[in-house]
Amino acid sequence: MNLKNLHIGLFIPCYIDQFYPQVGIATLELLQKLGLDVHYPLEQTCCGQPLANSGSEKEAIPVYKNFVENFSRFDYVVSPSGSCVYHVREHYNILEQTDEVERVRKNTFELCEFIVDILKTDDLKIEYPHKVGIHQSCHGLRGLKLGTPSELVTERSSKVHRLLKKAKGIEIIGLDREDECCGFGGTFSVFEPDVSVKMGKDRLEDHLRNGVEIITATDMSCLMHLEGIARRQKHNLKAVHIAEILNSNRL
Amino acid sequence: MTGHAHKAGQFLKNGERASWHDETLWIVRQKRDKMARAVPEWESLREQASQIKQHTLSELDNYLIQFEQQAVKNGVQVHWAANAGGFNEIVSGIIKENNARKVVKSKSMLTEECGLNPFLEKQGVEVTDTDLGERIIQFRDEPPSHIVMPAIHLKKEEISELFHEKLHTEKGNSDPAYLTAAARLHLRQKFLEAEVAITGVNFAVAETGAVVVCTNEGNADMGVHAAPVQIHCVGIEKIIPRMEDLGVFTRLLARSATGQPVTAYTSHYLAPKPGGQMHIVIVDNGRSQHLGKEDYRNALKCIRCGACMNTCPVYRKSGGHSYGSVIPGPIGSILAPHTNSKKYKDLPFASSLCGSCSNVCPVKIDIHDQLYRWRQDLSEKKIVSPGKRATMKVAGKVLSGSRMYDLSGKMARWGIKNLPRMFIYNRLNVWGKGRELPEIPKESFKQWYKKTHQGKGGKNGQE
Amino acid sequence: MDRNKILQTIRKNKAQAAPLPKTFSTPEEEPKKLLDRFKEILQQVGGECFDVKGAENLNLFVEEHFPGAKDFRKKETWEKYPPGCGKEELSQLGAVILEAQFGVAENGAVWMDESNFPNRLVPFIAEKLVVCLDSEQICGNMHTAYSRLGNRTNGFGVFVSGPSKTADIEQNLVLGAHGAKEYFVVLF
Repeated sequence: MNLKNLHIGLFIPCYIDQFYPQVGIATLELLQKLGLDVHYPLEQTCCGQPLANSGSEKEAIPVYKNFVENFSRFDYVVSPSGSCVYHVREHYNILEQTDEVERVRKNTFELCEFIVDILKTDDLKIEYPHKVGIHQSCHGLRGLKLGTPSELVTERSSKVHRLLKKAKGIEIIGLDREDECCGFGGTFSVFEPDVSVKMGKDRLEDHLRNGVEIITATDMSCLMHLEGIARRQKHNLKAVHIAEILNSNRL
Repeated sequence: MTGHAHKAGQFLKNGERASWHDETLWIVRQKRDKMARAVPEWESLREQASQIKQHTLSELDNYLIQFEQQAVKNGVQVHWAANAGGFNEIVSGIIKENNARKVVKSKSMLTEECGLNPFLEKQGVEVTDTDLGERIIQFRDEPPSHIVMPAIHLKKEEISELFHEKLHTEKGNSDPAYLTAAARLHLRQKFLEAEVAITGVNFAVAETGAVVVCTNEGNADMGVHAAPVQIHCVGIEKIIPRMEDLGVFTRLLARSATGQPVTAYTSHYLAPKPGGQMHIVIVDNGRSQHLGKEDYRNALKCIRCGACMNTCPVYRKSGGHSYGSVIPGPIGSILAPHTNSKKYKDLPFASSLCGSCSNVCPVKIDIHDQLYRWRQDLSEKKIVSPGKRATMKVAGKVLSGSRMYDLSGKMARWGIKNLPRMFIYNRLNVWGKGRELPEIPKESFKQWYKKTHQGKGGKNGQE
Repeated sequence: MDRNKILQTIRKNKAQAAPLPKTFSTPEEEPKKLLDRFKEILQQVGGECFDVKGAENLNLFVEEHFPGAKDFRKKETWEKYPPGCGKEELSQLGAVILEAQFGVAENGAVWMDESNFPNRLVPFIAEKLVVCLDSEQICGNMHTAYSRLGNRTNGFGVFVSGPSKTADIEQNLVLGAHGAKEYFVVLF
């Protein structure tokens, strides 16, 4: 495959756009360093998941349509969010399945899986001498199958680990509960604030107990939640999106 | 705040206890993992179980008839109950016919669902739950908080206190072995006195008319074999076609439930004991209606192992009673709204949709997908709160075009950055209850992109 | 009639036909491995295992190790506890010896049915349960166990795996909830 000819659409989820522009920038830079022709359609907004997860799938249809309109012309759509990508792939089934819709559902990829599965590489020549804890975001892990969830009795693998393991100097810290949900869960975080915060606190404690300095994930939403708790509790723990780590390379 | 969220908040007020509850159930989940991994064919076993159930649900009427025929041939009296009321009448009728006053019962979520105990007690029948956990909560007059470990929400000190009051055990002695021994003595007497024994059913085999009951304590057998009359209560979805299918389900059940290779006793009741009576009551109570809902039909495959509860972080951190339904946890949250969608409208939202429940389910019920679907259905039927719906309508408008979206984003960022803290962190901001908001960047990604990529991007991506 | 109402609703609502999957089976391991696994798992589930290696050693072993136990392999014991015998009498049983038909390696269970005891309460009401099992009669898993049983059923049969147990108080394992407090398998 000649990568140079690939037309890549960059989808930056709404909360990353508004609150974490550096994650969008890292993603864009990384894809460009990998030699790709990346486009960022300015009319994009959101995948619609916040609405649908709250039960308002119908209200989300115009949002879905906007996404399809913006992205159907690309060979691949890449996004630094497992959760949004999962939503597009899994839940755009309620749209009429036109060629455009089918294309978008098939060609939208989470950043790590795009690098591993489509670009077929895992060595990004990164140096990252830190103690890193990986938070396995549920939609990426169980939805997109970026790795083997701990519940399943199948051969173990993880695209995120594969990419990070290649980083020079990195120490990936093992956790007591390798893939428990952080409790963000989209609007769950505000409909069930007490449980959500408790889940987040417990995840953080696992990372802290095991000596993590930097916590990373494929989803900034989980990290926003975890970081919000860490800051409230005045923990000295940094949350860094995986795109930022992968972009710290010398390609 | 909705029912579950509120009750969960209450549960979480005692953080230490909530952590203990979480950890205790997590250990059960880990035991399950260890047991599952010891079976290399685990995933195909789950698939097999799921397909057997799928098939059975597509032939349920025929299998029920076959089951009935076989059971009758074995000398069993078979009864049918369309609903909870009918079920309670049938059981109480059998008890009356036998002039019985004393009944022992082993675990049955079905009798819990139908409210059998209070019904019988009103008629002067003494019903003793004989599973230790069930006996504990019966003494406390509260519902089970878990379908396999009914008293998992209690600390041993509380049970010690309870047994001191009810069974006159030593005050302050909370040694589980001591307390169990006291319960054994107490219940042994109940077993010997009982005139009727009631059990739930794990599996009912169409081919032979067998009902299979799995326990660790042996309480079902102590009851059934000691009492002259035995009554087995079975939901219509508990049917499986063949004896050989038991091989599949008994391998999955205990491993999923408690992380044991099998329960201590897997009992197959086919015919009454010499001189005894054996009754089987087949109960519908809404299941045949549920069967007609294609999107939700799979939930009828459930074998009540409780694995979805043990793995669910929301269940572990909010406790079974926060659900307020007979069956709590993920499976309860997709079953309960079928019985009363208004009363249980918040349960499908009591999940972060992490999907772990679907992965541990031994019969591969798509639990988290059904939770998602329930959210849509409840919202469509206008059962969720109007406030929530209105918010979503506005959000839909904002997010469906970039102009409104960009503007709202700008306003929100400006607000968080510039408003005094008290305007942001107050009781209206549920996010801020235990979390800080993100630090606000000076510009959005889009603003940065426009600035740095002048003329690039846009609707048609022309450069 | 409830029966017809239920069946009619099911007929209206049932899923479209889905085939019954083929019998699930796994390759059977060699007998030596099965025997070792059976012993290992039996211990894990709280049972104790003896291997007297040969039917000729069985009776002596059992008499020596379980003196006073009621041996239901003997006709006279069998006749003393007929189906209708008093519960009080049964509750005085103490230790009992039964013969099981076969064992299951993957979970340490043994199969017994009404041909192994005269009264269904016997295996449960005994304080101490001793089960004699031919070490050649051990199958690998529950699939082979049920194919062995086929449809050969009598009124009651049970897989027993270890002593009666509960963990209902704070998940602390306690042996001897209602049934046998102690459980032994004597392989011969």
